[in-house]
This record gives sequence, structure tokens and C-alpha cells, in this order.
Amino acid sequence: HATELRLSHQWSNNDIRHKVAQIVADEVAAANVDLDIKIFGSQSLFKAREQYKPLSRGQLDMTVLPLSYAGGQQPAYNLTLMPGLVKNHDHAARLSASPFMAALEEKMAQDDVMVLVHGYLAGGFAGKDKCITKPEDVRGLQTRAAGKAFEQMLAGAGASIASMASSEIYNAMQTGVLQAVNTSSSSFVSYRIYEQVKCYTPAGDVALWFMYQPLLMNKSTFDGLTEAQQQALRDGAAKAQAYYLDEAKKEDAASVKAFADAGVEIAQMTPEDFAAWRELAKETSYKAFIADVADGQALLDMALAVD
Amino acid sequence: MDPLLLGAIVAIATIIVLFSGVSVAIGLLIVSAGFLLIFDGARSLELIPEILFGKLDNFALLSIPMFIIMGASIASTRAGADLYEALERWLTRVPGGLVISNLGACALFAAMSGSSPATCAAIGKMGIPEMRKRGYPDGVAAGSIAAGGTLGILIPPSVTMIVYGIATETSIGRLFLAGVMPGLMLVGLFMAWSIYSTWRSGDTTVLSAGSYSWAQKFEILPRVLPFLLIILGVLYAMYGGIATPSETAAVGALLCMMIAMIIYKLWNPRDLWVVLRDSTRESVMILFIIAAAGVFSYMLSSLFITQAIAEWIGTLEVNRWVLMGAVNVFLLIAGFFLPPVAVILMTAPILLPIITTAGFDPIWFAVVLTINMEIGLISPPVGLNLYVINGIAPDISLKTILTGSLPYVACMVLGIILLCLFPGIATWLPDLVMGSSL
Amino acid sequence: MSGHSSAAAARTGSNPVLRAVAAISTLAGWVSATMIVAAVLITCQMIVIRYVLNGSTVWQTEAVIYLMIAATLLGLSYVQRLRGHVNVDLIPLSLPPRIRFVLALTTSALTIAIVAVILWYGYEYWHFAWERGWRSDTVWGVKLWIPYLAIPVGFGLLLLQLVADFIALLLGIDKPFGLE
Ligand code: NA
Ligand code: NA
Repeated sequence: HATELRLSHQWSNNDIRHKVAQIVADEVAAANVDLDIKIFGSQSLFKAREQYKPLSRGQLDMTVLPLSYAGGQQPAYNLTLMPGLVKNHDHAARLSASPFMAALEEKMAQDDVMVLVHGYLAGGFAGKDKCITKPEDVRGLQTRAAGKAFEQMLAGAGASIASMASSEIYNAMQTGVLQAVNTSSSSFVSYRIYEQVKCYTPAGDVALWFMYQPLLMNKSTFDGLTEAQQQALRDGAAKAQAYYLDEAKKEDAASVKAFADAGVEIAQMTPEDFAAWRELAKETSYKAFIADVADGQALLDMALAVD
Repeated sequence: MDPLLLGAIVAIATIIVLFSGVSVAIGLLIVSAGFLLIFDGARSLELIPEILFGKLDNFALLSIPMFIIMGASIASTRAGADLYEALERWLTRVPGGLVISNLGACALFAAMSGSSPATCAAIGKMGIPEMRKRGYPDGVAAGSIAAGGTLGILIPPSVTMIVYGIATETSIGRLFLAGVMPGLMLVGLFMAWSIYSTWRSGDTTVLSAGSYSWAQKFEILPRVLPFLLIILGVLYAMYGGIATPSETAAVGALLCMMIAMIIYKLWNPRDLWVVLRDSTRESVMILFIIAAAGVFSYMLSSLFITQAIAEWIGTLEVNRWVLMGAVNVFLLIAGFFLPPVAVILMTAPILLPIITTAGFDPIWFAVVLTINMEIGLISPPVGLNLYVINGIAPDISLKTILTGSLPYVACMVLGIILLCLFPGIATWLPDLVMGSSL
Repeated sequence: MSGHSSAAAARTGSNPVLRAVAAISTLAGWVSATMIVAAVLITCQMIVIRYVLNGSTVWQTEAVIYLMIAATLLGLSYVQRLRGHVNVDLIPLSLPPRIRFVLALTTSALTIAIVAVILWYGYEYWHFAWERGWRSDTVWGVKLWIPYLAIPVGFGLLLLQLVADFIALLLGIDKPFGLE
């Protein structure tokens, strides 16, 4: 009788993150090591933000999730959704292989969690009435940001922060409750935000918004597998990670196409804009992070040291 | 074990447990815990509190108690009577005018209340005794109010639409709009039947209330004003860029409480407590079912039953309308035994993929589902509106209420058929206001 | 509005223990209703801050959610006392009194068992969050043991009311399923 692992995530079947999980599952099945990964997508098992706790307690074997969702349990994870820390996808890949990530993986190990597949996804800004490229652009706008650190930075730029579920964004943009939104490229497309905005600032050569969304596994469960099963998982994960990086880049281009096709103006963030945001972030979200986390400064320095 | 077979066993166990008389929420928890214990091991029980909390951890659920408070606070004042009286003064010349007035009052009240029992109670408290006094048969009096009250969940705002929106991640604003035209259609059908049946009985003169002068007709109009203000205020907040639908519910609740206190002088703490007590009771009952249904659907998903059923239906090669017919029969039967919220939460994860795969619009389906749930509200053994009627007029037998509401059930079935023939009845308004569907 | 079921609210007779439990449940009901009203007011305040003053609304959504959850869980015992948790009483209605009594004892015992299980693991979950210092992943960063406290307290009160109902049934103070 094959060992069964249960993997939970929040996305639909055609989402890149589901495909990453599927590759691992397929590879493991093909390896014939008596291991079977059952995928529960679309929050059919656990809600998006309720996955890390069962994972760390061994009630769930695997998950693909934005690690910052667990920032309330391990505040260090907030560095995985920190403005201006990641410049582009290749830089993100270098971060994943750096001592910074090794330090984060030590934190995960405290919760009996390990990483199988590393991966970052990028995002941008959309404005209902105008383009958002630099901090001055968001002053006075009702803004919905994805992530605590972004809320702190945007508030620092004079934006008003409105918190609501991502499924409410479309209506809120349409009726004007919201005037600006900041989220991932894929969410922009899947929530059809392009129908409601005038201007889109995608992730380009420089981008502000990167979110670390790894495929995680319960460590004890992994350690309990046979050597062959562990190897099959590692092999599948390596293949999935290469795919993840490739597709993450394409995702940004696809979102630009969706917005352009809908007649939305496409704006670009210049390196100067990026620098201005990062200065602002240092005064707001970085500062708050360091105040909040005991070894925060050291972790931040490790991340900033990655070239 | 084959997940489909397991699914059948779960279904039978659920029916047995729910029929034992245990409360619906607890019953769902017992069944879920039992199967999790057997198939996932004792450790899976650890997750139950976490899932209960997680299911309630949703801002949109706020609107359930809010829309219930709206109805309950207005229902505790003379407002329902005023509304009903105003309609009656204007409609005396129509055959069955009193029934028509009651149905109209139910429809208007439904635009302020998210709950059907609240709508039923608000209009029925005045309407049923009045109709009986004027010589309408008990069945007509009770049946029309029971049925008219069900409009509470079809005409926006609607608690079931909120729950459906959350369960299926569809826009609540769009769902609300989709209920408007079908709601008007049902009111029209209900009224048409009432006029026809009164006319056929040939008793029109006996049943007519006599005539009112124009002065009397206009004098009462200002008393309907608070209603219109609330309805317009809520609509403006919801679609005018002030607040999201869930937030609007709080505005509506505050408005209604203030109007009840200021205009209708609902000052007495004892009376205010009755409003809050009734709202709390209905809200907690619904929210506990929502949380428990969350554990139930976790169990179904964890045992791979949901997925297996969806796959199995996908392989069936049946005509999509045969499928829709089967879904409707299933919903009707489920509605006999369970309150709407429980039906939606237990079936939506299974039904929605089936519906969308067969090419039906999820917004349109929400309306069809809601009308099915309306029928369930006035059918035994669990019919929330029947309990309300029983509270207002304990001397009318269940059989009389049921016979009286049967023609209206037929109207609802006709409504579902019309919706299948002309889906635009549901989708036209949301498309017009909010652009083509997502 | 009238009752939600053909059953009447739970009876206490003159038994002081049952009356004390009923009083506790009623108090919990008041707290629950107050929390709902607080949620209404906070939501309206949020709309004013955002729409009228164009300000930031950071804590309101979260506060309202936790208030609603607490209102639900703390309200459970009161709604149980009012017999407001809807049930299917078709079979109990049609049974002869003795069998109805046995069925009522069985379902009550099962209900007590499942609520006790949830209370136990709910306490564990709360304790876990407290011990580990979990917070919500928002700018507000609420200590999660505070909202989680509603789980053990709510189910604890419900258990108390259920045991009281069970005793009332055994002593003949209350009728099976509240049916006459
Ligand atoms: Na309504
Ligand atoms: Na029913």
C-alpha cells in the first residue's frame, strides 16, 4: 500500500502554483517509489491562511503558500514580502539560494517545516484614474495593498489603507470605494481588474512587489519517508523549481497583455522611482520590521547583501 | 473504499443523524467527527475548532446579522402595519385586494430584510389577523404570507445570496442585483394567482374592504417614506461607491434601528432587547450552521468524496437540462429537511463545478437555487416560515397552511421554468449595472 | 418574531442549579448581542473614516470579524437555552413518549460528547496560540489568543447549558425535544 501525502493550496487548476505542485506529484508517481501525492486545490481542504498551522503540526503534509501568510507565527517571514528587497526574477532566484534563505529555513525548521520548491512571483500597481509609479502618486488614494509591509510603506507615502478580501477588489474598484490596488500579476488577471482601471504598472526590469511562495513540506513527515522516496521528491522539486522560475517571468508578460488588450494604459517604473520607493520603505516597513523582530536587522542585511 | 460508495454511506448517516432530532449544526459536527475519526484517525479531530473558527473568519459574514437586524428592528414597530395599510387603501378595488396588499408589503419588506422568517413575521403579524377578520379563508391568509415571506431571500438583500457568494467566490453585489427581476416576477405571479382565484370564487364583494377616499389614500403615504428612505439609502451606499455590500449591511442595520427608535419611538430597553434577542438568536443559529457545515465539507473533501462526485458527474453524458432538472429535484428534497444556509454550504462545493461545466451561469444558478430554497422554507418538516406562521396564528393547522401555500409553490416552480427558458430575467440587471459577467 | 421551532424554550422549574445555568447563558446572550451592536457601530465608523475623511482603516475589518466570531460562539449557549438551534423533529414528533424520551437522551448525550471534544481541542488550540505568541499577519497584529479565547469559553458555556438540559430531561422538568 503506497504512502499518501496530502498537499493543499488555494489556487485553481490552471494556476502556475498548482502546476508546480502537479509536476512534483507526477514526477514522484513516475519514480515508482510507493508514494502518492494527493492535491487539494482551491481551498477545498484548508482556507488560504489556515494552511501553515496544520502543516507545522503535521496534520497536513505539503502546501504551496505565500510564506508571509505565516508572518504572525514567525515574524521573520515578513521579509518574504518586503518592498524593494527583490529587483527582478533572476535576483529572486539568487536570493533563494543565499545564506538569507538558509536563515529563514532555520526558522521554518523550528516549526517542523521545510522547503521543497523555492519560488517568487511578482506584481504591480493599478490605478483607477491615474498611473502609479512613484510615491507621490498614491497620496490621498484609497489603496488596497497585498501585505503588511506594503501597507506600511504606502501609508508612509500618504495613501489611505483600506483592508478587504481580494474577492471584493473588483466591486470596490468599480464603485470607487478603492482608487488604487497593489497585488500579484496573476491576481490582477484572475480578478479581471483590467476592466476597472485606467492604468497598470506591471513588474518590469525593476519591480517593487515580489512575494515568496514556496512549496513546503512537514519535516518530520519527510524524514519518515524512505531514502528512495525522499530522492524522488527532491528530483521532482528540482524540475518544478526550474519550471516555476520560467513561468513566473511569463506571468508578468501575460498580465501586461491582458491589460493592454483591454485598452488600459501601461506605465513603467524607472530605476529612480524604484530608489524613491526603497528609501521610503527603509523609513517605514524596514524600520517597523527591525523593531518587531529580534534578529531583524541581521536578516535584513543578509537579504540586502545578495547582489 | 471507493469514495463514491463512501459518499453514499455519509449521505445515509447524515440523514439518520439529522432525523434523530438533534440540531442541524450539531448533527453535521457529529457526522463529520465520526467519519474523520474512522478514516483520518483521532488526530484529525484536533482540527475541528480551527476549522470552525476559520469558517467564521470572514468579513462578508458580518452582513448576515446586520440584514437580520434591519428586518427585526422594523418588524418590531408599526412600520409593517403602515406599509400594509397604505397598500391596502390603494388596492381595495382589485379582486383579492387584501391578499395583493400583503404580497406587495412582503415584497417591499423583503427589500429591507435579508431573512425570510423576519419578512414573514413583519407582515404576517398584521396581515393574517386582518385577512381572517375580513372573511378570507385561513388557508389563503396563512399561505399567502408564508409564501410572500420567502421573498426575503430572493429580493436583495439576502442572507442566502451572501452565503452563496462566499461559498462560490462570486460577487455579492452582482448576486443581489440578479435577485431583483426574478423577485418581481414571483410577486407578479403570486398576485396574478391571487386575483384569478378570488375572481373565480366569485366572492369579490364580500372580500372587498369597502372604499377609501382620496384624502385617506394620500394621508397614509408619508408613513411609507421611512421605508423608501432606507431602501434608497442602502442601494445608494452599495452601488454608489460608499461601501462594499457587506459594509452596507451595517449602515442598513444602523439606519433601521435609528428609524425604529426615532420615528416609531422604540425607546423602551425591553422592546429593544426583544429586537436584539431575536436577531442574535437567528444570526447565531445561522452562523453556527455555517461553521459546522465548514467542518462537514472539510470531511467530504478530506475523504475525497467531493472530488469523486464532481469527477463522476463529469463523465456522465447527460443532456444539460436533464442535469439541471436533477439538480433542482435534489435541491427541493434537500430544502424540505434543511434550512437554506445548510443546503447551500453542503451542496455548493459539489454542485458549482457541475453547473459551470455544463455551461450554466453561476449567478443565474444562484437565483434558481434561491427559489428552490424558498419552497423549502414553506415545506415541512423544517420550514422556518411555517414556524413563524404557527407563532402568529397557532390555531391554523399545518395542513391548512400547506394547502394554502401550495398554489404559490406552483408559482415558484413556474418561476424556475421561466428562468430556465429566459435566463436573462436574472442576468440582465447585473449585466446592465455592473458590465458583462465575470 | 415567533419561535423557530415547534419546541418551547428550555425549562428550569424551580431547580436552583438549572436556574443559575440559565442565568449564565442569558448573560452570555447579552454579551453576544452587545458584540453584534459593536460590530455595526465599528463598521459604520470605518465607512465614515474612509468615505468622509478619506483616512486609513487598518484595524476595523479585523476587529469586526473577531467580534462576530465571538458573538457567535458566546451566543451558542443562549440560543441553546432558547432552543433556537433548528432541528428536524419529524421523527421525534411521531414517536410514542417512552421511545421519544430514550431518543432525546441519546441525542443529548451525543451532543454533549461532541461539544466536549470541541471544548477540549479548542482549549488546546487556544493554549498553543498563547504559548507560541501567535499574532495575526496584519499591521494591527492582534495577539491571536484573544480572539481564540472565544472557542473554549463559548463551547464551555454551551456544554454547561447542555448538561443542564440533560439533567432537566432526566428529572422530568423538561420534555424530550421540548415537545408537549
Ligand atoms: Na431581502
Ligand atoms: Na422545508
